[in-house]
Amino acid sequence: MLDFVMNVPVAGALSATEPYLGLRLVLAIIAAYHMITITERNRKRHVCVWKLPLVSRMTRLESFTCLKMRCSLSDAFVLTCAAFGIAQLCVSATESDVAAAGPEVSGNGALTPSSSLPFEDHNVGYYFSLSLSSAFPDDLEVSDYCLSLLRIFGERYVNYVKCLVSYTRPVQICEKCYTNFNNLKEIFANISSDAMGPDNVSCVDSLIRFDRLMLVYNLYHKQLDIWESAACSQCLTTDQRSLNETTLYFLTVLNRSASCFDKHKQGNHSELCKECKAPYHTLSELYNRMEKNQTLCIDLEDKMNVTRRLWSKTYNCSVPREETIPVIAVSSFMLFLPVIFYLSNFLHSEQKKRKLIHPKRAKSNQSLMNIQEKFS
Amino acid sequence: MANITKKVSWSSRGDDSARGEATPLLNGTEEVKYTRQPSGGSIFHIGRLSTVDLEEEITSEEDSVRTRPKEIPHNEKLLSLKYESLDYDNIENQLFLEEERRMSHMNFRCLEISRWVVCGLIGVLTGLIACFIDVVVEQLAGKKYSIIKENIEKFTEVGGLSISLLLWAVLNSSLVMVGSIIVAFFEPIAAGSGIPQIKCYLNGVKIPRVVRLKTLMVKVCGVICSVAGGLAVGKEGPMIHSGAVVAAGVSQGRSTSLKKDFKIFEYFRRDTEKRDFVSAGAAAGVSAAFGAPVGGVLFSLEEGASFWNQMLTWRIFFASMISTFTLNFFLSIYNGHPGNLSYPGLINFGSFDNDKLNYTLYEIPLFILMGAVGGLLGALFNFLNYWLTIFRIRYVHRPCLQVMEAMLVSAVTATVSFTMIYFSNDCQPLPGPPEKTQEDNHLQLFCADGEYNSMASAFFNTPERSVISLFHSPPGSYNPLTLGVFTLTYFFLACWTYGLAVSAGVFIPSLLIGAAWGRLFGILLTYIPSISSPTWADPGKYALIGAAAQLGGIVRMTLSLTVIMVEATGNVTYGLPIMLALMTAKIVGDYFAEGLYDIHIKLQSVPFLHWDAPATSHWLTAREVMSSPVTCFSRVEKVGTIVDVLSNTSTNHNGFPVVIQDAASDEPGKICGLILRSQLIVLLKHKVFVERARSRLSQRKLQLKDFRDAYPRFPPIQSIHVSQDERECMMDLSEFMNATPYTVPQETSLPRVFKLFRALGLRHLLVVDSENRVVGLVTRKDLARYHLGKHGLEELQLAQT
Repeated sequence: MLDFVMNVPVAGALSATEPYLGLRLVLAIIAAYHMITITERNRKRHVCVWKLPLVSRMTRLESFTCLKMRCSLSDAFVLTCAAFGIAQLCVSATESDVAAAGPEVSGNGALTPSSSLPFEDHNVGYYFSLSLSSAFPDDLEVSDYCLSLLRIFGERYVNYVKCLVSYTRPVQICEKCYTNFNNLKEIFANISSDAMGPDNVSCVDSLIRFDRLMLVYNLYHKQLDIWESAACSQCLTTDQRSLNETTLYFLTVLNRSASCFDKHKQGNHSELCKECKAPYHTLSELYNRMEKNQTLCIDLEDKMNVTRRLWSKTYNCSVPREETIPVIAVSSFMLFLPVIFYLSNFLHSEQKKRKLIHPKRAKSNQSLMNIQEKFS
Repeated sequence: MANITKKVSWSSRGDDSARGEATPLLNGTEEVKYTRQPSGGSIFHIGRLSTVDLEEEITSEEDSVRTRPKEIPHNEKLLSLKYESLDYDNIENQLFLEEERRMSHMNFRCLEISRWVVCGLIGVLTGLIACFIDVVVEQLAGKKYSIIKENIEKFTEVGGLSISLLLWAVLNSSLVMVGSIIVAFFEPIAAGSGIPQIKCYLNGVKIPRVVRLKTLMVKVCGVICSVAGGLAVGKEGPMIHSGAVVAAGVSQGRSTSLKKDFKIFEYFRRDTEKRDFVSAGAAAGVSAAFGAPVGGVLFSLEEGASFWNQMLTWRIFFASMISTFTLNFFLSIYNGHPGNLSYPGLINFGSFDNDKLNYTLYEIPLFILMGAVGGLLGALFNFLNYWLTIFRIRYVHRPCLQVMEAMLVSAVTATVSFTMIYFSNDCQPLPGPPEKTQEDNHLQLFCADGEYNSMASAFFNTPERSVISLFHSPPGSYNPLTLGVFTLTYFFLACWTYGLAVSAGVFIPSLLIGAAWGRLFGILLTYIPSISSPTWADPGKYALIGAAAQLGGIVRMTLSLTVIMVEATGNVTYGLPIMLALMTAKIVGDYFAEGLYDIHIKLQSVPFLHWDAPATSHWLTAREVMSSPVTCFSRVEKVGTIVDVLSNTSTNHNGFPVVIQDAASDEPGKICGLILRSQLIVLLKHKVFVERARSRLSQRKLQLKDFRDAYPRFPPIQSIHVSQDERECMMDLSEFMNATPYTVPQETSLPRVFKLFRALGLRHLLVVDSENRVVGLVTRKDLARYHLGKHGLEELQLAQT
């Protein structure tokens, strides 16, 4: 078995009549050896690897598996070859490998790594699912219905993420992206529902629980986590279709103080502090109230943070420390009290005395003298 | 040296006063003669001692010797007369033996089962008390802090913060006043953490009123007031005392205070059985306080139980477990998650299972270094507290003064905290809503909006919350200056607070001090540029080690504290660093000063027996140790004599050897038994006289139950009326005395006597001569007076306190 696999690159190398044949041969053998170790590890799953040059008649499924193997094999090759710094040989070896594999394999060349990475394209969202569906052979148990669901999921996912990214700074994700999120949520609910689709199939098994990666599920839940930690639902109405009233009210109050800031921005900040104190305070109180009621989402928190920073840092309207003298006076008075207390106790309270009691002891002159001697 | 010399001088004075002819031992009044003063004369008598410091003796007047006992200021080298031993050794008299023989195998099995039931009850009740304390403290403190916070917020803008300061001080002192009044006026024994008292109780010392229901009430209310009153105290130590009281109460099946007898568990109404339950109660208390069942058992083993066996351990563990999970259960209901059993402990350190908190091999020396620092600081703490306590005992002993002192301390605590917060410039951004809990008291004061004063999160909080905040706040929540100032202030505040007449523990303040400097240490490590590896980053683990080291340096517990810390943090991997830190802390601390609890035990003049006799005491024999001559009774004794001996206030003896007196000779009689004061009182109360038995044959025979009913509060002799006729009656003691008391020959060495006494939990050990004649009696106070001081073996003096 081992010999066979080693033959593959050797044949490839021999066919390419080039200089340094010996060296390249050796390197190729090393590379092949690496391939074998990888192969051996996966022997059970990719058993067709060594059948590949030998058996030209293969079932379709087998060739498919082998193709998948090819991808991983070429990955292994790239790794190995990179380690030896000779990429060219690697390529030639792969080519020869493919050539040796026969027509069925080369016919499916569409699945080489470069072309099967859909996200290299700029219009990913819309083409990726198409390319995906064409990539799947017909006899896989994913129904068309599920594939179409998956396609919609992909589109909506991309839209949602795009929205998130564009409203990252200043944070407005709740305000702007809730429609996208609702869409995404809806399609995921469709996919994951146990209800049977038109072909009497449920997509949960084929799309969500099919492999250990559970890609659709994890993608969705990552987004759900973000949405929940942003606490967006608290700014939306109960059906999550629009911003709720508290939020809108907060935004108007916020605008009021923001416009006040804008008006007095020029010139002396102390005037700003005086003039805008009222709107700012209304805002602060509202915010605190909402914080207590837990009706805040990340948008409002962020806006408030910015406003507070403007107020305290930029315009310097914080409360100054003014009453140092009275505080020091009162505290030193308090600190002085114990001193008086202890002093007066020490001087006036009579000291507690203990009456000594003398125990009865045996008369034992001899031994007492012994103690005395021992201790003196 | 001086003390030994004093001892010599008294004894030689005794020699001087011709003790040899003091044969009529039966007469109690005779004893007065012997409790005399060392006189100047006696010193001159031993002329060669004149070089040693004996000025006190010389100043005393020779003729006042007999009338007025000498008085000295209180110090730690005294043994108080008010403490007695507990009867940990069963009194095997005929009644007892008869009852034991009557009991079948089945009865013993039932007893075993009821022991388990009692332990379960102890666990449940202790857990409930812990829960009660926790909830009430949380409510009260929450209320207080929200009032003050509102006030501060209001006055920050309009001015007048000194009024907030006064409000804080007044609120604090009024709460503390309530707590202090109930302690100082109603039950002084409930002051402090109660751990020293329980330690003494389990050692075999009967501390008056320590396990009463009233004490429990005062303790619980007192601890609520003092913690809510913002003192630098914790509620964990008092939990241990509370658990012990619950245990002592439940196991008796009745309450003497409430005059209610449930007629159950009557077999347990004696010191031997009660002791075991009290150790279980102490363990349940620890386990409720820290959520550490194993730690509780080990605490009981290390600090408390001097008497131990495997079955008891298992029962105690049961009680601890039940207690923790009762607390968990009820706290889960309180917190709105009924059935969720994961709210362990009054203080929950939060879990330390974060990956950031890993430690590596090269940090071990750092942990050891922290242990040493903890030991040093702990020794300093104990030293300061020692002098403070002496001052308090000597000068601040009136209850009203004690209340005033407690109020002052609380007011000053508030003032200092306020000043610290006021002048602090350490502002940190507020955490966002998910992490923010309603209970956090974030004070803004002069910080920018959206930020809070970081000093306030350490001071403006109950100590427990501050500890948790120090352990778990993300790096950067405190700046080093804040922590340094906080450590310093809190160190002195805590030191000042411990020993006040309020019920409060020292665990949490110690942890807090340690956590503060530990965190500081962790932060400073990150400033060392060469080793900026990311594992240094989280100061939380250093806070933990610092807390352990500081606590270990103060209380000097080792095994149990390690386990408690490990259990409370829920991370076994921290066992090694915590153990190393505690070990170092103990070694370093012991070099300078004793543990805080030991200091307080000493200052209360308790005759506490350590594990072994002092190391250099082998040359002492029973002859020097024992009290002699002994007041004895005959087997059939005249009632008048007994009453006289018992009512003699100057001796107040508790055990009396029963002897067969050879009427002709002056020699002491041969030993045939030992009878206790409590038994005699019960006998007198029931008038078990020989003449009566003869005249009325139908009289009920006295049973063991009669003794049990009187336990543990035997009436004083004054309350028993004995008529003149009855004084002439005779009493037959042979049925009630312990016919087989332990005896030792006169030549037995002190360590041997000590071992026997300590291991068996004896109360009286008779010293006999070769003819089995009683020559002396060794009691706890005779043994406890020897201790190893700075200049070798020293002897403590007996004093009336």
